[in-house]
Amino acid sequence: MKEAEAHLTMSPKLDSEDLDPEVVNRMIILGPRANVSESELTSELHLLGLPLTIKETCYGAMVSGKKEDVKKAIIEIRKLDPYNIFTKDRGFAPGDPRRCRGHRLGPREGFHQLEREYELLDYVGEALKNPRPVEIVKPKPIDVDEFKSIVNESIKKEKK
Amino acid sequence: MVKVAIYPPNSLVLADLIERKGHTALALQKEMRKKIKDPEIDSPPMNITEEDPIKGLQYAAIEVPSGVRGRMAIIGPLIDEAEAAILVDGAPYGFGCVGCQRTNELSIFCLRKKDIPQLELEYPSSREGAMDMVNQVNEFLDSLDNPEALKEKSKQIESSGNQDISTEDNLEEEPLESSKTQNNNEETPSEEHMKTEEERKVSKDDLVASLKSKGGY
Repeated sequence: MKEAEAHLTMSPKLDSEDLDPEVVNRMIILGPRANVSESELTSELHLLGLPLTIKETCYGAMVSGKKEDVKKAIIEIRKLDPYNIFTKDRGFAPGDPRRCRGHRLGPREGFHQLEREYELLDYVGEALKNPRPVEIVKPKPIDVDEFKSIVNESIKKEKK
Repeated sequence: MVKVAIYPPNSLVLADLIERKGHTALALQKEMRKKIKDPEIDSPPMNITEEDPIKGLQYAAIEVPSGVRGRMAIIGPLIDEAEAAILVDGAPYGFGCVGCQRTNELSIFCLRKKDIPQLELEYPSSREGAMDMVNQVNEFLDSLDNPEALKEKSKQIESSGNQDISTEDNLEEEPLESSKTQNNNEETPSEEHMKTEEERKVSKDDLVASLKSKGGY
């Protein structure tokens, strides 16, 4: 218990990588219908031979490294299953004691939204695979005269 | 490539769809990353610097709680940078990372107020809804590559609401007409602006006189 509390410290020891402005972190999330598993994803990332920090997680993987390397890795890894591999930026580095679930007494911040959005990923993948033409219609404000007539009607109804 | 603001600002689905189309998603995590790299801040976002609520003053008044202003110090620059916006409304509890409804309302207001292409969607509750949402987002992102096409489309939709759809011959003449209407539109606000206090008083007097004549004053 004390150890866990100690990790929630206000001044964790940061790596040089954590303070490098060129380093970015990226979460790679597998959709429910993905053809690859988390371990396959991680091994594929390792096989790319890029200078990245790679962490296998319950939702997929997390990569950290120079912006260009991360971009290359994501382009390559998306080829495995383009419609079911999703990516998202992450502020904190993998294993950062301030956010890592391993050091916290419960789920980390951001997990709950990920959980919610995971429910949609199946449909998102399906929609990406079978695109449909749609028309975007901007909602318009109602006409003043029409609004007046509606108000008058509702007043009449109330009086009755 | 267009910088697209998203709401909720850390949405996975929206950020992913935007990046698939080659645009840049203005996600909150990138701003947080900047804070994390700052060695002076021990535990972001629990600690904010003295400067943050001051930066937030650009977006909210002094009497607004410092929590809102502190949050706006991070979200505000993203709104300023935005060239387009996608807003998802009606999300379930626990969706979104801001943790403050007033900040949500203020940031959505700031985005709506900006003169940029916007897409507002409802959080989907069914398979059909989710598929519609994805297709609409993709359609919107495609239209960002051709902003003129988007303007023409919106003009056509607006005109179809008021008038009959113009024929091909009329379409050729449209630019001239539209430029004329634009000029008129430009003139009208300037006329309004020209109204002096005296003129306003005069119009007030007219109003009083007309009310008196009706016996209502």
